Parts: sequence; C-alpha cells; structure tokens
Amino acid sequence: MEACLAVEKEVDRVFSKFGGINEHAKRVLSDLIKQIQNLKEEYQNVGDDFKLTPIQIDVLKENVAKVKETVSKLATDHRDLHSTVSKVGKAIDRNFIADFNATTREDVFASQEKINLINKVICQHFYRQGMHDVADELAKEADITPEPHEKEPFTELNHILDCLKNKDLEPALAWATAHHDSLEAQNSSLEFMLHRLKFIELLKQGALYQTEAISYARTHFRKFVRRHEKDIQTLMGMLLYIPNGISASPYGSILGTEMWMEIYELFMRDACQMLGVCVNSPLTTCINAGCIAVPALHNIKQVMMQRQVTGIWSGKDELPIEIDLGNENKYHSMFACPILRQQSTQVNPPMRLVCGHVISRDALNKLCNGNKMKCPYCPIEQAPTDARLIYF
Amino acid sequence: MADIKSLEHPTLKVPYEILNKKFRTAQKTLDREVSHIQQAAIELEKTLDGREVRARDISTLLGGMVEKLQVLKRKAEESISEELAASNVCKRRLEHLKEHNTLSTNGQVSQGALNQWRRTRLDRMVVEYFLRNGYYNAAITLADRSGIKDLTNIDIFLTSREVEKSLANRETTKCLMWCHDNKSKLRKLKSNMEFNIRIQEFVELIRSDRRIDAIKHARKHFPSFEEEHLATIQQVMALLAYPVTTVIGRYKALFDETRWDTLIEQFRQENYKLFQLASQSVFTVTLQAGLSALKTPQCYSDNHENRNPLCPVCRPHLNELAESLPFAHCSQSRLYCFISGLPMNENNQPMMLPNGYIYGEQALTQMARENNGQVICPKTKQVFPFKKVEKVFVM
Repeated sequence: MEACLAVEKEVDRVFSKFGGINEHAKRVLSDLIKQIQNLKEEYQNVGDDFKLTPIQIDVLKENVAKVKETVSKLATDHRDLHSTVSKVGKAIDRNFIADFNATTREDVFASQEKINLINKVICQHFYRQGMHDVADELAKEADITPEPHEKEPFTELNHILDCLKNKDLEPALAWATAHHDSLEAQNSSLEFMLHRLKFIELLKQGALYQTEAISYARTHFRKFVRRHEKDIQTLMGMLLYIPNGISASPYGSILGTEMWMEIYELFMRDACQMLGVCVNSPLTTCINAGCIAVPALHNIKQVMMQRQVTGIWSGKDELPIEIDLGNENKYHSMFACPILRQQSTQVNPPMRLVCGHVISRDALNKLCNGNKMKCPYCPIEQAPTDARLIYF
Repeated sequence: MADIKSLEHPTLKVPYEILNKKFRTAQKTLDREVSHIQQAAIELEKTLDGREVRARDISTLLGGMVEKLQVLKRKAEESISEELAASNVCKRRLEHLKEHNTLSTNGQVSQGALNQWRRTRLDRMVVEYFLRNGYYNAAITLADRSGIKDLTNIDIFLTSREVEKSLANRETTKCLMWCHDNKSKLRKLKSNMEFNIRIQEFVELIRSDRRIDAIKHARKHFPSFEEEHLATIQQVMALLAYPVTTVIGRYKALFDETRWDTLIEQFRQENYKLFQLASQSVFTVTLQAGLSALKTPQCYSDNHENRNPLCPVCRPHLNELAESLPFAHCSQSRLYCFISGLPMNENNQPMMLPNGYIYGEQALTQMARENNGQVICPKTKQVFPFKKVEKVFVM
C-alpha cells in the first residue's frame, strides 16, 4: 500500500504542476496576444506612410522584449517540470520490483511446445469461463486445435452467473429450487440468500410493493425458518421502516451494493461444491498461488544475495522455501521426515516403526545399529526389518 | 500487499514511460514555437532600429507575431492536455491497485470483491501475455469483454504491431520512423536497431542488383555508425564484390531471408526495453512460480492413484508444463485423508490399513459402521476388518 501511495503522491504532484502551468500559459499568452493585437490595430489605422516617433519605438521595443522574456520563461518553466515527471518513474522503481529473473528460469517456457501447452491451458480456461469468443480467437491466432472441453455443467452455470452480474435473480432462483435437496444436504444457505435478496429488492421499491413483499416472504421464507430464523426476523423488521426509507434506518447497512457481488460468489462456491468441481479453473488456481509465491521468492532471493549464497538456486529441484498457500490449495498429503526434514520420495518413502511412529527410510537406515534400532520418539527397541512401508 | 509490489511494476511503468515521452515531445514543440516567436521578435527589433520606421511594416510584423503567439498558445494547450491525459492513465491504474488493498484489509466481508479483483488481475495478465505473443485479436477481445482496456498496455503493442507487420512485408520505413521517434532513448540503450535496418536496406539493394544505389545508400547512412561498427561496415561493404548466390558462409548469411525475422525479434526486444518491460511476461513468471508452489511428487507418481483431479498440477497439460520446474518445499508433514479430504491430526488420527495405506480415523469409522465392521481400501479395493486397523504417529 505504501508503494501505491508513494507513487500516487508523485503523480498528484504532476497533476497539480501541469494543471498550474496550463492555467498560467493560457493566461499569460492571452494577455500577450491581446496586447500585441492592440498595438497592431493602433498602427493599422494611422495611414500607410505614418512614421513612428522615437517614443512609440521605445514602447514597441519594450513590448517586444516582454514577449521574448515571457515565452522563453514559459519554455523554461515547462522544462523544469521534468524533475517532477521523472520522480514518478523513480518512485515506481523504488517501490515496485521490476526484475523477475530472481524468481524464474527464463528458458523453461520458451520452447514452442511449452507455449502450445500454455495456450491450450488458457483456451480451456476461457471455455470454462464461458468466454468462447476469446478462446476461439486464441485458438485461431495461436494455431492450436481446441480440444473437446467440459462444456457441461459450465454452460448452465455461466449463464446463471452472467444473469446475476446483470442483477437478474430468476435463473439462479430456478436452479436453486431445482437443486433444493442437494443444497440442503451440503448445508448451503444459497437458496435462502437468493430469496432474501429478492425480498430486499422488493422492499427497496418502496411502500407500493410492500404487500407483494409480505406475500413473497410468506410463500418462500417458511421452509427456511429452522436454519435462518434470526435472519428472517431481521428481514421482516425492515418493513417497519419502509415509509421513511430503509437506508436511513438501523437496517441501512443491509442494502449495500456488495450484496450482489456476495451472492455471485456464494452461488459459484456452493454450486461448484454441489457439482463436485473446483470453484476456480486450474489456471486461476495456479496464478493465485503464483501471486503468493513470487513475493516470497523475491524475499528469499534478496536474503540469499545479501549473504552471498547464490549456489542454492540453480539446478535445485525444490523451491528454497516453503510457500504457504492457505488451506484451499492443499491437494496432496505431504510427508516430511521429522528426522531429516526432507519430503519423502519414491526412493525414500515413509516407514512405520513398530511403535507407530513414522520416519523416512533413509533416516531409518541411519538410525540402525546392526540389526537393532531405537525409535527416536519412544524408548522401544526394535528390528529395522519390522518397519513397514506405508502409503499416504 | 506484497503481490502488488512484486507483480505490478509494468502496470505503472509503462504509462509512466508514455508520460515521459509526452513530456519530451511537448518540450520540443514548445521550444520550436518559442524560437519562432523569438525570431519574429528579432526581426521586429531590427526594423525598429532602422532609419525609417513605417507604421505599415510594423503592423504587418506585429500581425505575424500575434499569429505565432496564437500558435504557441494552441500547441501549449494541446501538449499539456496530452501530458495530463497520460498522467491520468497512471492515476487510474493506481486507483485500481489501491482497490486491492482496501478489499484485503476489510477481511471476510468483501471476499467476493477480492475474488473479483483477482479475476480481473488474471485477465490483465493474460492480455499482456497475448500481446507479447502476438495474439492481438484475442487480446482485444478479452480486454473488451472484461472492460480492462485502460488497465492494459494494448496501445503500445498495437503501435508495435504496425512496425512488425511492415517488417514482415520487407518494408523499413515504419521501423525507421520508430527509431527516429525514440532516438534519444535508443541511444541510451545502446541500440543498434537503426544500424541493422540500414544494413538490411543495403543488402536488399544488392539483392535487386542496384549496386550503385547501394553504394550511395552506404555513403549516406553508414558514416554515422562508423565509430562503433566500423568492422561490420567493412564486412558489409565487401558484399558489393559477391554475387547474390555466393556460397561463402558469412556473406551467404547476410543474404539470408531469415534476417528479417531476426530484425522483428530485435525490434520486439528493444520495444520492451524502451518501456522497461522485462523480457518475460508477468503471466509466465507467475504461472511458473504458482506451478512450482503447487507441485508435489504425488502429482508425478507412477501409479496414478495419488493424483487428485482437483489439483491443477495433476491435470494433463499443466502436468506436462510443470515437469521441468522445481517441487514445492515442504519441511512439515501435512496429511489429508484421501476419503474425506479432511486434514489428519489429533482430531482425525491417521490410521494404517494392513496393506500399508493411510486414511483418516473419521472416514474409516464411518465406513466400518456402514459396512458391518469392514473397511474397503479405496485405492486397492481390498477389504479388511476394522479391528486390523492400526494407529500411526506422524510428528
């Protein structure tokens, strides 16, 4: 944030300075033009052969000198703004990182093969988002054949989401009603939230529609009373304030515009969960993960450069640090040997000791003493051959 | 916020470079107009110093001066408003970036808006990637659909597309114009773009057997490069002595048609440098880092049983793409039950079936309850009595 603010400060300064010089130039030049114009008219009407008196010449000279001075000052003033402009650039360079070389290997995605793969992934992403025109255009320009894609169920979902974007609740409501039982089973409040929004929209239209709103509430809210009693009470409370406008009432905060954004997200999340697909396309997930990883990698790179360790980076088959992607992006069990602090691999798999503790095979071999070993966590002595290979 | 710092440099730097360029053009325009006025003033002063000063002459001269002042006024207004417009683009993008901050500090409430912002970011990145790879129509379609045209650098890429197209058609005028427009910057970057174009023109003249014209061309253009490129110039001049069908390696190379493609590539790179764009797009950089952060050995296990259809790196294309990337680093075990997807910890103990496979206690208990005390390993389909299941301790 400070980064943005620092740059913004400089940009604002550019605005005020250029705004200033703009006004100044306009005013000064108009004055000059008027002045010279007047002089010109004065001499235009005195007759062709009139000769100027020395005083008149002096006045003219003075004016010419003034013109010269003013315009050249104008040019200098403008030139002086350069420092203001270049400060913006410096602020950007100081506050944002320009160099990606630290975090990537340039050649990895350079080959045509990889580019084709990337393009195919992007293509699938846009088909999934329902942006067929973009995907088709890409397929044409990048010269790839789009593969048969998972159209269903995304076609239907995308249509509903588009309608939600345009503040049309009906398709979403129809969908939620049709899938009432499955939504109920996964404890989703989607259907209720849709009805709630519909009700609020009715209330927003004022007193004329309140009968309609009440009858809507009576038809639709009843089945949600078990889980959403409190919410329903709140909603019905809003009716009190219709005559004076709800926005001025204690319920005003309910009317915010972010409601539509929230319902959009809620629908996407719950519908995807019900259908057993990811909310995000694989590409979105990767990019979101990357947005977390890149800053972390920048930091570690900086630390490594300061300590003048550079060797760790190149040719290593593991990232130098653990990147915390939050709880959403965990798809696989990871076993890291508590002794060696290393991730298990196919050559170094996890082994369960007789006592139930798990360590990696390499660690097991190191702890062996003849045909005996002691568990590092509990005092049980055992034969290493009794340890079992396990699969997570 | 760190992601903005790390990823958004080009988003701001490009409009800044445009602003800077606008400033320099404006300065040039102003200087030119000012010098016109100065000249008019000098002329007027000369007349005033003359022996006889006629009103008619003065009036004409003053008229000229008024005209010139008016031109200056108009040009100044135009230039400054262009500069303001360029700063506006910077401002607009800053606003967009700041939006991200307000959203992420508000926490839970605006998760939806934050996701929306992230989707926009992905679209912005993809547009830039498209532009860099020359998929202009796809880029324009996407930018229009997502309404992010003013957040992307489409304009500068469209200008460069014109140049690339003309180079592909074996024309040099547009590229030379571009060189001229950005002369001072290119000199600072020590670019030899213009020189290479001049050589190409020379080669083309010889190819069409206009050797005298080629010499004229060389006389006109090469001397300005002699300091840095004398050796190259000498070598190129030697071309005059050889037929187009020459078999001598280094001269044959000069006649090679693929030199045009090299020129296009060089132009692209120089154009990036001009706007301080890195040689890789933000999109590929982020994609690389993201794939690495998600990549686990399980995504590449021989028997596909450990692949998770929800994991992006386990998907066919991305899997292939991530092959040469480093794995995520993991120093602390984190275990998830394959059946329920829930984390395995003290509340959901990991349990081992007799075949060595580990699942969560909760899922296995439930399965046993529904199956008369039997559990089925979902990976090997073997059936075991629940009492054979053993505890596992993972530190």
